[in-house]
Amino acid sequence: MSDWQRLDPRMLVVEPVSELRRFLPVLLGALLAGGFARGGGLGWELLAVAVPVAIGVARYLTTRYRILDGRVELRRGLLQRTLRTAQLDRVRTVDVTASLVHRVLGLATVRIGTGAGAEQDLELDGLRAPQAQELREALLARVAHEAHAPDGAEAAAPRAAPTERPVLRLDPGWARYAPFTSAGVVAAAALLGVASQALPDSAWRLDRLPDLAPAGWGWLLLVAVGVLGAAVSSAVLAVLGYLVAHWDLTLTRTPTQWRLTRGLLTTRETSVEDARLAGVVVREPLGLRLAGAAELGAVVTGLGQGEKGTLTLVPPAPRAVVDGVAGAVLGDDRPTDAPLTAPLRTHGPAAVRRRRLRALAPAVVLVALAAASVVADLLTPWSLALTLLVLPAAIALGEDRARSLGHLASEGFLVSRSGSLARHREVLGAEHVIGWTVRDTWFQRRSGLVTLEATTAGGSQRVQVLDVPEHDGLVLAAALTPDLLAEVGYRTPPSQ
Amino acid sequence: MTSLRPPAHRVHPRARLMWQLAAGTEVLVLAVALVATGVVADLYDLRWWMPVLLATYAVVRGVVVPTWRFRVHRWEVTPQAAYTQTGWWARERRLAPMSRIQTVDWDQGPLERLLGLANVTITTASAAGALSIGGLDQATAESLVAELTAKAEAAGGDAT
Repeated sequence: MSDWQRLDPRMLVVEPVSELRRFLPVLLGALLAGGFARGGGLGWELLAVAVPVAIGVARYLTTRYRILDGRVELRRGLLQRTLRTAQLDRVRTVDVTASLVHRVLGLATVRIGTGAGAEQDLELDGLRAPQAQELREALLARVAHEAHAPDGAEAAAPRAAPTERPVLRLDPGWARYAPFTSAGVVAAAALLGVASQALPDSAWRLDRLPDLAPAGWGWLLLVAVGVLGAAVSSAVLAVLGYLVAHWDLTLTRTPTQWRLTRGLLTTRETSVEDARLAGVVVREPLGLRLAGAAELGAVVTGLGQGEKGTLTLVPPAPRAVVDGVAGAVLGDDRPTDAPLTAPLRTHGPAAVRRRRLRALAPAVVLVALAAASVVADLLTPWSLALTLLVLPAAIALGEDRARSLGHLASEGFLVSRSGSLARHREVLGAEHVIGWTVRDTWFQRRSGLVTLEATTAGGSQRVQVLDVPEHDGLVLAAALTPDLLAEVGYRTPPSQ
Repeated sequence: MTSLRPPAHRVHPRARLMWQLAAGTEVLVLAVALVATGVVADLYDLRWWMPVLLATYAVVRGVVVPTWRFRVHRWEVTPQAAYTQTGWWARERRLAPMSRIQTVDWDQGPLERLLGLANVTITTASAAGALSIGGLDQATAESLVAELTAKAEAAGGDAT
């Protein structure tokens, strides 16, 4: 395969379709404008269709790729030509995705990541599905070979068919947890936004509601029905979204990789090399926690910065399932769940006070403002009573946040937990700790607390240990990276 | 030992002057804006508390903060690590091993050029992990870049 070759000819269908979709706003504009300019014929409309189609065809005709010994090259562009090269020994991740259009035509997209960030990825959009799989296997076999090369013997011996072991298969029943996440609320809000644009303004005249609604309790009934309707529709949307995104999700262990496949309409297949897996995040937002569920993300380096560096391994699922998968991922071939289940070291009374204060202070300010407004006759006393409800909520939030705080150094992993509404437990391998940041404000210094951060190249780029007593924080850092802390004269006291 | 010792070296004392000059420029712009809108254009009545507020801000920004900042800002390069401390109200200490250093950058703003100062920024593979030392004497900054580059290279590793 050393000659330049085109992508699959069926891309002649896919490219114009996707270009047309991209040009849709322009197209609609042209149609509307055409409607106004009567008698102008179909000229503009035709042009508006022909241009995107031509761009799509041109893109297909000008794109070629070749696979040489040691590298993949992709050449594209008519006026501005680009040549992108991926060295095979630098390949870190290989993703195979197929949108609905691709799947109907039996095509797939191969995305080759070299760990230099998403923008540098090499994308072969439009190979025949079996060909895409072959390429993936070939690339990954090479990665595996490189990884094992140092042990000589293993590299020399022709390796048996790679042993693949499924670690997780999604149970569609877990979609029942989807309504407990914020996804449904977001979808419902988006729907409401669209509806508010589509419906005439008069439908939203809230001041007219009392005329429409029956007197007395009927009003309350109307509100209750509205709230119930919103809740049910957001729950249904959340379940549907969950099933579409995670349908048939399977996590497979290969000798050197973790492979994740999922998707109902667009199928995605992501492979992550062991060395790129820095840790995991167990997310337990309040709703999921109350339902006994959680979500698992893998902290992957080289996936690009920001939240993109976190790969969802397990969508909302029972807590036991999440712990099991996390243990398997962390322990490689000997599962360990200590970083996930071991009791955490608490942060002490000063940290608890700080959590309480920081939750309560904004609520107190709000109540004070409401009280002042009542005194100034801007609000009715009735609304002050409503505002007072914020106080118990803030107290509960502060307590829960204080209870969440904890950290641990366990089996070579940094473990940190914080948050209430979005509680999460982060686990990061010590060898993926790039450096430490110790932050303290004047208030924190007064109470002897610091916010310790381990910086890393994956996930959100850092794992934060919030409001930890400075001594405990340093003991934790020294347990994980003793050499680094010794550089600045810190050694773990013998008593620890 | 219950706390991390601060890094060994202070930044150059001229850094304090630089922060003061930057603050002075900012206060001057605000004062001109106040006079222009309140007196010249007469858009509103200039109350007594407006200049007082500005003067307080000037004292905090021009005297308190630079002094405080100068007491906090410190740096150190050990055989195997780089260590910095910055900030004033919120203090930040950063520690990174030589083997994880990716790039060492040197830069100078207009004010820094005037005063013969420079910044050194050390980046790692983590977007949240850059160490930055501002207000170094130009010669110190240059030798620091050379030292860090040499040590990072000697430490090897692929810096990820």
